[in-house]
Amino acid sequence: MMIKTNVLANGLSLVVETIPHVESVAYTLFIPGGIIHDEVSRIGECLLLAELSSRGAGDFDSQQFSNALDDLGMRHSEGASQDRYEYRGLVIKEKFQEALRYLALMVQEPRLEDSEIAGIKSLLQQDIDALNDNPARRAILDLTSRYFPAPFNRSSLGEKEGIDAITAQTVRQLWHKCYTPSGAVLSLAGNITYEEALELVLKLFSEWKGASCPAPQFGSLAVRQHSHICFESAQLQIAFAYPSAKIGESHYYPAKVATEILSGGMFGRLFIEVREKRGLCYSVFSRHSANRYTGTMMGYAGTTPERAQETLDVMVRELHYLHGTITEEELTRARANMLSALVISEESSSSRAASNASDYWHMNRVRELAEIKDAINQVTSAAVYQCLDRYSYHELSLLTLGSKELVFEREI
Amino acid sequence: MSTSKSHNPILHEKLSNGLTVIGEVNKSNQSAAIGYFVRTGSRDETEQESGVSHFLEHMIFKGTEKRNALEITFELGNMGAQANAYTSEENTVYYGAVTSEYVPHFQELLSDMIRPALDPQEFETEKKVILEEIALYQDRPHFYLFERAMRDYFAPHPAGNSVLGSTSSISALTRDQMHAYYTRRYAPSNMVLVATGNFEWERLLSDARLQLGSWQDHSAERKIERHSRSPISKTYYKKNISQAHYLLVTSGASATENHRYALSLLSLIIGDHSGSKFYWELIQKGLVESCGADNDEKDGTGVFYAHASLGPERVSEVKEIIASILAKPLDFSDEDLERARTKVISRIIFNGESPLGRLMSIGTQHLYREKVNSLTETVEAFKKITRADIEKALAEYPLTNWSEFTLLPEENS
Repeated sequence: MMIKTNVLANGLSLVVETIPHVESVAYTLFIPGGIIHDEVSRIGECLLLAELSSRGAGDFDSQQFSNALDDLGMRHSEGASQDRYEYRGLVIKEKFQEALRYLALMVQEPRLEDSEIAGIKSLLQQDIDALNDNPARRAILDLTSRYFPAPFNRSSLGEKEGIDAITAQTVRQLWHKCYTPSGAVLSLAGNITYEEALELVLKLFSEWKGASCPAPQFGSLAVRQHSHICFESAQLQIAFAYPSAKIGESHYYPAKVATEILSGGMFGRLFIEVREKRGLCYSVFSRHSANRYTGTMMGYAGTTPERAQETLDVMVRELHYLHGTITEEELTRARANMLSALVISEESSSSRAASNASDYWHMNRVRELAEIKDAINQVTSAAVYQCLDRYSYHELSLLTLGSKELVFEREI
Repeated sequence: MSTSKSHNPILHEKLSNGLTVIGEVNKSNQSAAIGYFVRTGSRDETEQESGVSHFLEHMIFKGTEKRNALEITFELGNMGAQANAYTSEENTVYYGAVTSEYVPHFQELLSDMIRPALDPQEFETEKKVILEEIALYQDRPHFYLFERAMRDYFAPHPAGNSVLGSTSSISALTRDQMHAYYTRRYAPSNMVLVATGNFEWERLLSDARLQLGSWQDHSAERKIERHSRSPISKTYYKKNISQAHYLLVTSGASATENHRYALSLLSLIIGDHSGSKFYWELIQKGLVESCGADNDEKDGTGVFYAHASLGPERVSEVKEIIASILAKPLDFSDEDLERARTKVISRIIFNGESPLGRLMSIGTQHLYREKVNSLTETVEAFKKITRADIEKALAEYPLTNWSEFTLLPEENS
């Protein structure tokens, strides 16, 4: 891999990976901010700001700006997540200079036109309304709101009342507060050299100034909870979460391997025991996510109410029996699958830009493939058991959404 | 928009039993993708078999004469194969990507899987999974509307057959019915083996001969009929949903007609997620949650459709706006056409950067057309489209006579 990094004088970190055989260049820009930084009375304002920044910037009004991006054949998105603003773009290499200029305009000179705000509010509110039409997504958001501490438990869609309360003035204040280079990461990947990238970024982003807004403290997780939401639907949703290793912790890679053994490919124990052997559901999985604050093991299954109790029982049983029963064959398979997925999913410039940005965001550095490979290969079953000792499924908080409440036995 | 690079040629060979093998080698990739594309789907089912194509797709992973279900699962895992499958009204596709060293092994496994044992016990267990999948989609209103609308639009043409089938059709389906369907529809000349990315073409070919060369061919022709109909209007109601969903359908170009390029560009001008007429009139004003338009090319027939998801209180207003846009399909500037062209060419190039992206493009092209375009040829075809071509396409497919389908929350009924 040809990856170079640099921190500009204004605090913006630049990550560049050169991939000579592709025709495109991709960017990912993360700026500290997001849902946790929104005022409690205006949750969702960051979502509106990110969208608004793409509706006119510099000398371009909304239509001119949209046309300018489309004329480049650019694939792009602008949004906000829990703790950052996220800008992503992909363009043919010949058009990259112009694409990056438009990115610089969106973050440094957005017009933030009053006339655009009502339309964006309506879009965001419809997204919230549509949640009932996707019960799986709703169950996971409802679990998130109960499990994580405030403000980390906020819905990634924002809140209807909060969105209502946004004004042109408040959104401009938010832009002034959060859109700053300090702590931001700009990751470029594709057919571009480091020298070309640095020259361009210095030209476009050197004048960007300001200090980043401090993140709130991370509080306590609501573990060992059990909630049920009555909802009339064909399937009942089962979602759970419990603490796991965060980034940088020694248990991090063992937690990833444990998740792979439970839920990797079609060979994961949950898939085999719940779906393949018993035919209890179509969709079942667990996943491990981690950030600088915490790590989370999350599980999900959607199944018809009459099969839901057995589905939950089998899932919990598999969490229980993971400890002490991992075979060398399972370990080898999990490692092979994780490494292969890394190589295959990262053939494209956009996935490389995103993955490098994420590494740098969490660790202030980018991991080489060889480092990840070594770390995964070094995970033993003993290391996985130590991780499971430290982060037990006994702590799990459960949420069910559907027509029937389930019995949850924490002890097997 | 131009591409600076000459793209890799398409390699093509037909085995003596009729199986087509196609490859596009790209040694810059670290991985390769392989897939079997079978020209069969729900439109090839009888009423009693409704859902069997998709159910069979699941059964392909459930064992062969040589391997049981768990052995298949573990072998895929051991080589880190990112494997999957899908079924549509017209095609069933088994595919995956592996790092280059596993290509021969993965090819051997896929070639074995495509001759399934259809074990009766696995059949009964998997039937429960299919019933759960049907239940899952009952809770997704967008899917609920599309499935019903296509059934009603196409009836009695089979292109509107449900892919999943119904709870009753799947419950009643037997293993013997599935076996009969498999025997009828799966034949070497009715499928294509495709590989893309970093692999050895000669090795792929010789392995294909070894693995499937003895499979006796038979005719699995599909009856092709063009479908057109007088407009219908239907409203469906569903409990416990929040948004309304609206769909307009009319005749469009089929997968073999050159008009598909012009209508594809027109669909972007009308309904792309950015910068289109729908974007400026509906999304930018916040009137809908989402919307779009597309020319859905099918085998021997095609539909052009437009859709929107929105708050139920805005249905009348949005219907009027969509109708006024669709009433003037030629109301666009030269800049609009160039912008749509740039978008479509960029997307083709971006998708072509990964072996899986190329695999899907090549495989689906071949299911409909003997000649598969290289990436460069596809780009060139879009470069040539002029306003006059769109006018000609509209003379054939005037985008009138829309059938209209609406799904509303039941409280509004």
